[in-house]
Amino acid sequence: MTNPRSSNLPSSVLVIGGCGFLGRHIVSQLLEPSTSKVSVLDLRTTNNRLPGASYYDADITSPEAVRAVFEEVRPQIIIHTASPTAMQDNASAAQKKGAKALYYKVNVGGTRTLIVQAGLVGCVKAFVFTSSASAVHDGHSDLINADERWPVLRAPKQKDAYSESKGVAEELVLAANRKYGDMLTIALRPAGIFGEGDMQLIPNLLLAYEKGQTRFQLGENENLFDFTYVGNVAYAHILAAVALMDTHALTTQPLDHEKVDGQAFFVTNAQPLYFWDFTRMVWKAAGDKTTPEQVWTIEKGLGLLFATIIEWLFWFAGGRTPNLTRQKVQFSCMTRFYCVDKAKKLLGYGPKWEMEEAILRTVKWFQERDAKDGVEKKVQ
Amino acid sequence: MVKATDVLYYAVHAGELRDIIQWQTWHQPVHERKPEQEAPSLAICFEFLDQTSRSFSAVIQELHPELLVPIALFYLILRGLDTIEDDMTISLDEKTPLLREFHNYTEKEGWNYHGCDRKEKDRELLVQFQNVTEEFRKVKPAYREIIKDITLKMGNGMADFCHNAEHDDNCVNTIKDYDLYCYYVAGLVGNGLTRLFVESGLANPVLLERPQLQESMGLFLQKTNIIRDIKEDTDEKRRFWPKEIWSKYVDKFEDLCKPENREAALNCSSEMVLNSLSHADQCLFYLAGLKEQSVFNFAAIPQSMAIATLELVFRNPKVFEKNVKITKGEACRIMMQSTQNLKLVCEVFRGFTRKIHKKNTPRDPNFLKISIACGKIEQFIETIYPSQDPKSIMQEPAAPIDPTSKEGKDKAAAAEAKSDLVFMLIAIFGTLFSISCLMLGIAYAFGARFDVAFSELTQGKLSKPTDAGAAQSIIHKYDHGEL
Repeated sequence: MTNPRSSNLPSSVLVIGGCGFLGRHIVSQLLEPSTSKVSVLDLRTTNNRLPGASYYDADITSPEAVRAVFEEVRPQIIIHTASPTAMQDNASAAQKKGAKALYYKVNVGGTRTLIVQAGLVGCVKAFVFTSSASAVHDGHSDLINADERWPVLRAPKQKDAYSESKGVAEELVLAANRKYGDMLTIALRPAGIFGEGDMQLIPNLLLAYEKGQTRFQLGENENLFDFTYVGNVAYAHILAAVALMDTHALTTQPLDHEKVDGQAFFVTNAQPLYFWDFTRMVWKAAGDKTTPEQVWTIEKGLGLLFATIIEWLFWFAGGRTPNLTRQKVQFSCMTRFYCVDKAKKLLGYGPKWEMEEAILRTVKWFQERDAKDGVEKKVQ
Repeated sequence: MVKATDVLYYAVHAGELRDIIQWQTWHQPVHERKPEQEAPSLAICFEFLDQTSRSFSAVIQELHPELLVPIALFYLILRGLDTIEDDMTISLDEKTPLLREFHNYTEKEGWNYHGCDRKEKDRELLVQFQNVTEEFRKVKPAYREIIKDITLKMGNGMADFCHNAEHDDNCVNTIKDYDLYCYYVAGLVGNGLTRLFVESGLANPVLLERPQLQESMGLFLQKTNIIRDIKEDTDEKRRFWPKEIWSKYVDKFEDLCKPENREAALNCSSEMVLNSLSHADQCLFYLAGLKEQSVFNFAAIPQSMAIATLELVFRNPKVFEKNVKITKGEACRIMMQSTQNLKLVCEVFRGFTRKIHKKNTPRDPNFLKISIACGKIEQFIETIYPSQDPKSIMQEPAAPIDPTSKEGKDKAAAAEAKSDLVFMLIAIFGTLFSISCLMLGIAYAFGARFDVAFSELTQGKLSKPTDAGAAQSIIHKYDHGEL
């Protein structure tokens, strides 16, 4: 991959959470032109290490640990993409409560620590934060062609703890723009990330395929949904860093409508898809041969009714979470897509990987990994 | 002439029959032609218009008086050019100069052409072309220049394609060739019409700066017709589907219509549909620039028909067997919806887009791309007519609503209406209940035996005893039991 604008990147970039799903892709893309020095800060740096980058173990909720790494690396750009994984919906109530505290500690507390330390270390010119498109979404209503004018939601409207913590953190980051000397900040809000190394979306779909659940469909499949390939999200982060550095090099402040610093941007594949078409394409890539005539469509209301009954039965039988939940029904029947014109116009963003190619390479990656795991298990 | 099959069809599809009746009863043209003030040669031109164009004649005749005659003649001139191009009996040596010089003949007094094959259906138009040239010379010079310019460009483009077709079976090889061909025969028309609309002051001049939008208007129609006409064109040895596309699915172009290749041919037509669909959003964008109602109708009706046709041909094996057409009922419904405003036209587009999406199948190699193309049209419609407004989301639900504001009043009125409904229902059922009680009470007071009636009913005896004696004996049975 060649990146025409990354030649503008200066010598030192630090990726916080660079061993995570998205972080690894950002590090990989930063290393491709290999003009910049790439460092990674993560809680544990044993996974997803790439040759050419330096790795530092540190907890972002600890100011001392963060300061020590910042002092040593002295980065000009920080890309902060660290976050606990958003909760799986089969978590128990106790897990959910624990997760909420963790989100606040890491996403809000950790982000605050990073901003303050980045501001104090003095060499940071650009701070790029990975927010989430769900910050403007309450988790169940339709969201139609939303752009950056939509408000970031707080409780009680925002019912999802992960999304709320991301929204609060984003506000902290954007408020810090030009507050610490000339450090500039920006926030990106990706929607429905999938790709190689994905822990949620694709593995869940492949699991459903293996279980033979491809003949079911919840809802009429008229709901458009944004899914974003991780490589495109990583690319947007690099463009954001470049845009901040370009702004930093200006002698005067840019005009309001050209401003990128202190701004949030939605990032998607710019190809909203009918929810079940994405699902079926993933299954097709995995080898599924189900035809539309074989699919049993369960209407949304009926699906909700089933899910409610099953949830109660499971609760009665001992508190486990069933496969079919109301949340899953809501999720697969709701419309949720965004307009990314702002990122296109101001960051020069456009997806580098088309949806089809992205799905094919992702599924291939999972199949190859599983095949390798299978061989290793047999050897053992 | 009404066909028996039509009668049967509409007997079953009453909804469509209703659409036809409604259209014919209620549709009022924005403008009407005034035949009594027309010169004889112009009347002949309009007769030709009726004969040569099934779909365009009606919309052209309702155009604003300023553009009525120029556009009618524009249509006839291009029709004449097209007839010469289509006629395979004219030698290339004769055809090429005819096509390249046609723009000059349009103003030449008494010009006509007798060289067309007798079987050519529009031959007569060229034989009596002097009527067109006579009327054309009366048209305003500004309009005449535009029409001549387009005729020149189209004639040259057609001549180039005919030249290539003579030397190579596949004159439409690449998708680029296909786009170029469609540009010559249709994209140019979009360009010419836009210039006429703007020149007459009936459209937004900004449209002139967007050549891509103008061309999309023509390309969307032309490409859709090329997909629909595959059977007819193959039979007559014409080929417009680009080799770059069909060669992915079949070895020889003729194989497309063979029954054993149906699945491959369907997948191929899907890619053609996908190619056409990519112009749809730009057509809607273009329509937003038209101000005058008759011009809007003139431009919007064919576009709505095209998206409906695209839905009809999508994954439809019948296109390889015969000429498929949208039914007259559906056509009337589409015309009703396309002669009002852009919002309704967008609804027509959204409706057919979703129908295409519903027919899409993962088996199709173009499955995801078609899904994305449909999503793109839906998203575009959302950008011009958003169904969500961030301002309304931002309003806190807890914020007290000022009862004197319009919104407050609306809400209060809605709440009042709701409570009114509840009270009304209570009143109705309450009245019924009290009357029933009253009737039962009176019956009881006069000695009705509900206990007897109830027991007899539960035993399944619904009819009343035949005479008074029988009734008495039943009562007697209940009062004393079997002692």
